[in-house]
Amino acid sequence: MTGQTTGSTRGSQPWVAVIAALASSLLLLFLVVPIGQLIGAGGAEGVRQFSRDAELRNALLLTALTATTATLFGVLGGTPLAYLLARREFRGRAVLSAMLDLPMLIPHPVAGIALLLMLGRESTVGGALLAAGLRVVGTPLGIVAAMLFVAAPLFISGAREAFAKVDPRFEAVARTLGDTPQRAFLRVTLPLSRRGLVASAVVMWARAVSEFGAIVVLTYNPKVASVLSYDRLTSFGLREALPVAAVLALLALIPLTALRTLRGADDGAAP
Amino acid sequence: MIECRVLSARRGRFRLADVTFTVPTGQYGVVIGPAGSGKTTLLETIAGVIPAESGSLWLHSVECTRQAPEARGAGLVYQHAFLFPHLSVAANIAYGAETPELAESVARRFGADALTNRPVHALSGGERQLVALARAFARRPQVVLLDEPFSALDPRRRTLVRREVRALHRAWGVTTLQVTHDFTEAGLLGDVAILLDGGRALQSGTPDELFRRPASPYIAEFLGAENVLAGTVQVLAEQAPDWLDGEPSPIAHGNHAIEFTTGPLTLYTVGDFPAGAGYAVIRAEEIVLSLDPPSGSARNRFRGLITEVATVGALTRVTLEVEGVPLVSSLTTRSAKEFAFRAGMPVTASFKAMAVHLC
Repeated sequence: MTGQTTGSTRGSQPWVAVIAALASSLLLLFLVVPIGQLIGAGGAEGVRQFSRDAELRNALLLTALTATTATLFGVLGGTPLAYLLARREFRGRAVLSAMLDLPMLIPHPVAGIALLLMLGRESTVGGALLAAGLRVVGTPLGIVAAMLFVAAPLFISGAREAFAKVDPRFEAVARTLGDTPQRAFLRVTLPLSRRGLVASAVVMWARAVSEFGAIVVLTYNPKVASVLSYDRLTSFGLREALPVAAVLALLALIPLTALRTLRGADDGAAP
Repeated sequence: MIECRVLSARRGRFRLADVTFTVPTGQYGVVIGPAGSGKTTLLETIAGVIPAESGSLWLHSVECTRQAPEARGAGLVYQHAFLFPHLSVAANIAYGAETPELAESVARRFGADALTNRPVHALSGGERQLVALARAFARRPQVVLLDEPFSALDPRRRTLVRREVRALHRAWGVTTLQVTHDFTEAGLLGDVAILLDGGRALQSGTPDELFRRPASPYIAEFLGAENVLAGTVQVLAEQAPDWLDGEPSPIAHGNHAIEFTTGPLTLYTVGDFPAGAGYAVIRAEEIVLSLDPPSGSARNRFRGLITEVATVGALTRVTLEVEGVPLVSSLTTRSAKEFAFRAGMPVTASFKAMAVHLC
């Protein structure tokens, strides 16, 4: 009886392996082929067009600048918040964590509408900013706000994980050796979590660059690259949109390479 | 001085509760207790890493219950060292050092100077402990808290490093509190011993007091007392009985002569223990074995049969059964060989009245 069962289990193993391999290969093809095709079909033209298409150059520059600004804001505000969530136990920590994850889960046009409600000229905050000479909707500031809203939770989540990986007893030792909490953070915690923090910032930057839904609600013009590719597709068709889309896909390789390099360095490091 | 007064703290679900003890200035305290008893939490609370919930903590006559760790002047060495992996060994030792010269000198004393060119991740557990000790002492702290700091060292290095720690402790007058699982180490190093269990300090005093006069049968068994007997206490007389002849009489200090009955055996002792149920603790080394039959009037002298002889290095443990009650005696292996003790041999076990501790 036992022998039969074992034999039957052994007999089914190759089929499981075949199905798993087939499913994985299909998914891999599904993920890789569209991007490969896109770069293959429009990459060369996109690179050529880059030198003569001022609108594309401006859109890419605006994308890089706004994504970088949003990432800087995210890192500045998100680092202490992530540290707090990783280190301190307080009432409402779970609720705060859930609230911070919310922008990642809601549809991005909905995020744009929520931001419009808060920053539009009719709102209290938007009105006050307008009175202070800061227009958010329809300006690069709106793009930064949209990027920050949808991408900062990714940084906070990654940074929190990076801080949690650093044993608090390292900080404890530093404190007994004379460091204030701030000094222990700068001399011990930050260097030990640096790779994780940089990786989280890269992920946030990449997410900000690829954002479309929230930006299109807040600031259609001036156009970032994602809005420009959509605009060309709807106004001029696939042929015109292809080079812009291909350049955006090529650009995504930069953070991807940075992440791989960081992870490679991590793998090589001693435990 | 380290003085904890009804000190309580919490780490997750674990609670350190109402801990009270004092390690006088310049003395060496040892904390012993089973795994999970709160030894590390106690050190972390004294260091200020874990905030105290209630009670008070005094370091060198200054109340520092609410003080930040960096203001307490207390060095902390964890069992797993926690060297900063992003810094070199030299930078680790110099991290909080009073002066670079002191860092170098302390590193030399612990033999960590030979490791300064190696990356932290390439060090063995024992080497890490050497660097962690040097790092803590280089700050020249007033108080040092050591959490099993020699556990990863080989026996030879352990003796040398223990000697260096003791030498620095004496030379600088550093009040030291060390967690250890090693009772020999506790006896060798400790001026004061604190027994912790379940987050509570069950007993504190000199190591000798703890080992000879445990406050409960649990403590006695934890500290390795081989003979812990449950029975009934009966107070005999106010004046010194004749069987105390030849022993310094403690009766004058408010104690009484006591008869303790455990099964078929009756033991005699002296103490201020009330009549009723209790436990008698007799350390194995207090029980003397001889081949002669017991004399007629002698107290605490019993004839029994040896059931087991176990030799561990220079010491031999002989277990005998006296009217169904097991007793364990510890003697030198040399003596055991001279008497040729073996299982089944009849022997006489005797011990002084003062060797019986009631709790």
